[in-house]
Amino acid sequence: MALVISAVVGAAVFGYAPRADAHPHVWATVRSEIVFSPDHAITGIRHAWTFDEFYTAMAVQGLDADGDGVYSKEELDPLAKVNIDSLEEFDYFTFVRLAGDDSFLPLEPPVDYSVEYDGTVLTLHFTLPLKTPLDPRRKDVSIDVYDPSFFVAFGFAEKVPVKVAGTPPEGCAAAVDKPDPESAEAAKALTEAFFSQLGPNSSYGSQFAQTMHVKCSTQ
Amino acid sequence: MILAELVTRCRSVLCLAAGLAIVAFAMLLLAASASAQTKPPSAFGPPSQQQTAPPSFAGPKTMPPKTVQPTAAPLRAKGPFGSVLSWVAQTQQKMQRQLAGAVKSLKGGNALGAALFLAGLSFAYGVVHAVGPGHGKAIISSYVVANEETVRRGILISFLAAGLQALTAVALVGLLLVALNATGFQVNAWTNQLETVSYAMIALVGLYLLVTELVRLWRRWRGPQDAAHKHAHHHHDHDERDHHHYAAHHHAAHHHDDGEACNHMVDARDIAGPLSWRKVAAVVVSVGIRPCSGAILVLVFALTQGLFWAGVAATFAMAFGTAITVAVLATLALGSRELMLRLGGGNQRWAEAVWTTCAIGGALVVLMAGLLLFAASLGPARPF
Repeated sequence: MALVISAVVGAAVFGYAPRADAHPHVWATVRSEIVFSPDHAITGIRHAWTFDEFYTAMAVQGLDADGDGVYSKEELDPLAKVNIDSLEEFDYFTFVRLAGDDSFLPLEPPVDYSVEYDGTVLTLHFTLPLKTPLDPRRKDVSIDVYDPSFFVAFGFAEKVPVKVAGTPPEGCAAAVDKPDPESAEAAKALTEAFFSQLGPNSSYGSQFAQTMHVKCSTQ
Repeated sequence: MILAELVTRCRSVLCLAAGLAIVAFAMLLLAASASAQTKPPSAFGPPSQQQTAPPSFAGPKTMPPKTVQPTAAPLRAKGPFGSVLSWVAQTQQKMQRQLAGAVKSLKGGNALGAALFLAGLSFAYGVVHAVGPGHGKAIISSYVVANEETVRRGILISFLAAGLQALTAVALVGLLLVALNATGFQVNAWTNQLETVSYAMIALVGLYLLVTELVRLWRRWRGPQDAAHKHAHHHHDHDERDHHHYAAHHHAAHHHDDGEACNHMVDARDIAGPLSWRKVAAVVVSVGIRPCSGAILVLVFALTQGLFWAGVAATFAMAFGTAITVAVLATLALGSRELMLRLGGGNQRWAEAVWTTCAIGGALVVLMAGLLLFAASLGPARPF
């Protein structure tokens, strides 16, 4: 009896404890560009993530080294480098898949990164190259942006959350997915999400995934 | 003060839980009405900024970035619980933005009104924030259930731990940023270190509870005479007031008077005996040494606005909120143990089984949570 109850309690804790960060502490507003090469392949994703005021205050604190009240490029560059370097461990919070495929496509370390501070909020810019360029005409491409631990809450910008850059193939467009709780896919996500919460590899945050698609009309 | 009075007047678990809930509800109402009166500015600037053609957000290489703050769309979750999760996340985001607005509005005309609004909002944020994981809810609840702790002590522990968490946050930010002019990164690094220390201590407390309980069981199984002897030896070291009162009111199964010879259950209380205050301190320190991350964010933000004192006030208002949530949960946990005890009627074997289950289960929960969180805290440094 005692053992059974403690086992149940223990199991509950097993699922519970790893989710210690399961309420967001950082909020980021996502705007993304899908970058196409001249030969119409997707070469990467260019992100602009704008952080909330609290995180911004924390991040820029103490960076105004000369104390002139201006955060110069030289003063902010180390911040960008630290952010970008530590993003690797977290898969850049960006998960690229072909439609109907479960495996994520490999990404290269970011290039062209910088942070921008307007006195209120901080925006991190970086370009995330795909290891192998993708032709979206063969299969739709989906890109999820989320933090599995939900420490950072990523959300799309209200206006123009995603657009294309470079030379996309004729008839191809990028758009964000509106989550539909009624869909069959969502019902499947329920069971998965529910059980994944009980495991040590909890990905609570995936329920908050911000999904964008690159789709091409076939005619 | 109201709370202290409640605690002394209320003799039953239910009464206390109800009292706490009423206090929490009243404060929430206050915060809500304050929120309705004041309209803090949007954290992301007026949305009209984006009504014309979308600004280029191309990388900085192509052109020098023009400062435009994007407006965030409401965060939505997938799945059948999506609407609930979305609501929770959106409420948290709204509260955090209002908090930023409240700190800023302190610089405006009606400083007193803004200060009250900030205090109410911080309190409400604390109550809600603590409902999520963290803040030692599981640890404190398990600890009080595993031990012969009273509701009063459960509440006391909750408040002490939350108070210490607030103090740690203020001390950390005050020392590093105000005194040493460190960077936000250094504050983060320190916070992570303290978290790791905290989780290790929690695991140790759990291990200690488990070992004590197992030793007790082993002693009891070894022989009743031996146990009776141990009992007589330890009995007078008890915190008599707490212990006795609780026992007299709730242990129908076990009328326990001074000097009465008994060789069961009393041993369970020995673990809360002479060492209990040291143990309480261990629990409070292990939970409280980890600064509340929400408090750190508010403190740093207030500091950048030149209003560090407002951040300190908000931190303690927040801690009061989290303490109430944790105390309510600890009280509920104690209440359910009480319920289990009563289910057995006067059966002493049943009562003994409940005590043993609570002691071992609670100790295991504390130990496991500590170990898992400790392991998780050793992971790679977060980018944000």
